Amino acid sequence: MSGRWKIYILIIPAFVFILTFFVIPLSITVGRSFYDKDEGITAVNYLDFFRERVSRNAFIRSLKIGGIVTLISIVLSYPTAMAINGMKSGKKTIVMTLIVLPLMTNPVARTFAWLAVIGREGMINNLLVAMGMRRVKILYTEPAVLLGLLQLFMPLMILSLVSSFENLNEDYILAARSLGASRLQTFFKVQLPLTSEGLVIGGMLVFAGSISAYVTPALLGGSRILMLSTLLYQRASVLLDWNMATAIAVIMLMLTILINILLRYVGNLGRSK
Amino acid sequence: MDRISISTIIMVLVLIFLIGPFVVIFISSFGTQEFLSFPPQGFTLGWFKKVISMDMFKESMKLSVIIAILASIFASVLGIPSAYALSRYDFMGKRIVETFLTLPVIVPGMVAGLTLLRIFVMMNLFSIKTTLLIGHTIIVLPYSIRITRTALENLPTDIEEAAISLGASKLKAFFLTVLPNIKTGIIASFILMFIISFNNVPISLFLTGPGVNMLPIVMMSYMEYYYDPSIAALSTLLILLTFGIVILSQKLLGITRYM
Amino acid sequence: MAFLELRKITVGYDKKTNVLENFSLSVEEGEFISLLGASGSGKTTTLRTIAGFLPIRSGELIIRGKIYNNIPPNKRNIGIVFQNYALFPHLNVFENVAFGLKLRRMDKVEIEKKVKEALELVGLVGFEGRLPSQLSGGQQQRVAIARAIVIEPDLLLMDEPLSNLDAKLRVEMRSELRRLQKELGITTVYVTHDQAEAIALSDKIALLNDGKIEHFGTPEEVYNNPKTLYCAKFMGFQEFLKGKVVDFEGGYVVVDHEGRKFLARTSEDLTIGENVVLLARRKNFKPAKKETRNTLEGRIISRIFQGDTVLYMVDIGYMEILNVEMELEMGMLKEGQSITVCVEPKDCIAFKI
Repeated sequence: MSGRWKIYILIIPAFVFILTFFVIPLSITVGRSFYDKDEGITAVNYLDFFRERVSRNAFIRSLKIGGIVTLISIVLSYPTAMAINGMKSGKKTIVMTLIVLPLMTNPVARTFAWLAVIGREGMINNLLVAMGMRRVKILYTEPAVLLGLLQLFMPLMILSLVSSFENLNEDYILAARSLGASRLQTFFKVQLPLTSEGLVIGGMLVFAGSISAYVTPALLGGSRILMLSTLLYQRASVLLDWNMATAIAVIMLMLTILINILLRYVGNLGRSK
Repeated sequence: MDRISISTIIMVLVLIFLIGPFVVIFISSFGTQEFLSFPPQGFTLGWFKKVISMDMFKESMKLSVIIAILASIFASVLGIPSAYALSRYDFMGKRIVETFLTLPVIVPGMVAGLTLLRIFVMMNLFSIKTTLLIGHTIIVLPYSIRITRTALENLPTDIEEAAISLGASKLKAFFLTVLPNIKTGIIASFILMFIISFNNVPISLFLTGPGVNMLPIVMMSYMEYYYDPSIAALSTLLILLTFGIVILSQKLLGITRYM
Repeated sequence: MAFLELRKITVGYDKKTNVLENFSLSVEEGEFISLLGASGSGKTTTLRTIAGFLPIRSGELIIRGKIYNNIPPNKRNIGIVFQNYALFPHLNVFENVAFGLKLRRMDKVEIEKKVKEALELVGLVGFEGRLPSQLSGGQQQRVAIARAIVIEPDLLLMDEPLSNLDAKLRVEMRSELRRLQKELGITTVYVTHDQAEAIALSDKIALLNDGKIEHFGTPEEVYNNPKTLYCAKFMGFQEFLKGKVVDFEGGYVVVDHEGRKFLARTSEDLTIGENVVLLARRKNFKPAKKETRNTLEGRIISRIFQGDTVLYMVDIGYMEILNVEMELEMGMLKEGQSITVCVEPKDCIAFKI
């Protein structure tokens, strides 16, 4: 077709933009992480990463916290999405609006709000004092980071589940019930399998988000509870240790790419059904 | 019946968890103490006045808004034509193009920020401001494409052919029949892009310099030294602003559809 | 010379396959032509080729003696009524109809006059300010027609325009379309998969199968004397028997099936000894009084009461179950009952296999 080249005119500006300013620089970053001035091509940066206790801990902590946040998100989001699915359209819109708010709020403002809840003079501690108990230290602990990440990423899980509930034909459930399945059997044999794609996709989004978030661990975890992202910033900006910073960046990149390959795989599985 | 009420209870608790902290910070920002506390003592609007009058916040707010608007405009200019091509045609290399154009959502912001700093700023290719603009355009571009594409895919393709059969050129058909009907999607994408750019930390974190400080970064560095409720007041303002934008755009455009 | 001519046209959507190959068709000025066929037969492809939305690989598209191959679709002055109407959702009825006129830079007064005339023609005066979403399906259809004819096109193309209407409205719109077309005298190419619609509307029908015209003729010809087996089946004939040509008798061909003789019409050149298949319409089977020629015996498997007629499904030992439609006054027969039916030689057609 003579107009074929016109399609490329539409697509090339964005493509070239992303290529030059994003894909190529990223490739350079990845390439550089395997290079050392003295040793040439080497994996020494990665060996250092896993040799050092601080960075190894940050790696493990990121995975651990990401995992816990994902699990709690699943447990809380599933019934929430079910409840939302059962609502009338007007009410549903209001609840959905409230749910996306944390995603849309300035992250510093959102995280700072937690300081008023869990800080030394925050709501929880003042409540404890009022009840005659001692203050507890929540801020700058792992649970603090967990709370912050949960508030930020649970909405992704809920959105993903709500949309898979919306795609679930109510008749399947009625059909299962009419065929003699109990409520519990219907749930495990029909509803759960049919929403599992949303669950997996939501879960991966939450996990990927949690292991790469910066503001939450920076403000609620501080310099003691380091995660990959906060460690990266510390190495780059404070210590100017570019080799380590780049290695951390590549590790984060690989982790998220891995998750996205899995995501795509799950997406394809869903489509082929 | 029983099970439904349990899930409703959980939903309410989840909503309290998600929204509660915003209420707490809102109340705290009116307290008179010199440090953040809840429940606050006394009532003052002093922190709001202080925050509004501080140059560091005013300047960075201005920069953040300008960058967010410019990045959203650039992303729309790049994104709308690509969304059109992706929604209407199959062509060689479509999969690669699609993958590249969603990459900025996948790659962690910290990685992007570090890369932009190392490649463009430290090698003296671009100024920090230019790099900021490039970085923000990159991270919002996928949203322009995704939302515009959804809007286009919901639009019947034959209205363009109808316009052409009535005498319009391809370009005219686009501007006369397609654009007016995806207007809502484009506005929704613009609002979402603005919010994403305005709220971005990881890119802005690495790209700071003399006179170039984005609002969230200024807030974070202020918090390192002061623990007074002025950040609470500023947070309250930002949260209210987001509430306003989200509620308004939900009412007008149904923005959750596009997320 | 014909008004519209497609000469050995080849088109396709992807590089490997052609949907139409060496496709030819000619339409006289003022004629109403239907392209009739099942989905995938190439009828919409033909329409899109005439409209200019598909590039022609080889062959010529000629309108009024002029080659149109390289004229872009927006310069062809062809009115199109789309299957889903394709009304512009953001424009009201007036603006939709005025769209093509505005592009022709007509002055305002003229536009208003023409839009009014067009809306009068389709009976939609008073609806100018409504948006398409505020109209019923039938009204949207009328706007689509008004929009296509207001530009005074050289040619009008319609792509299954009635398929989205309910059954009653569809029949009403048929006569309306026919009236409009005759009133305006506009050459029209109409795509449909509905044979009744094609018969009711057209001056000529081109029956398409697999990118080729099986039969091009008047509705009477196509209905009564289908040229090919495919055509016959498409026009409602059903196969009921296979046999050998043994003789010719008074314009009929005599077919032998296991010693029994059948008389049938044929439009093909048959020779003695050739294998043929016999077809007839369900309503042409009658109960046989006595043992004559052209009779079939069978057993009723099931019956469907249809009001004035009853449809019987009869097992005659052929690979397909025979559908027989009989007047109710003949009395209802029971399932399981044996039945002997006959079909007049003039209602029976033979085709080579």
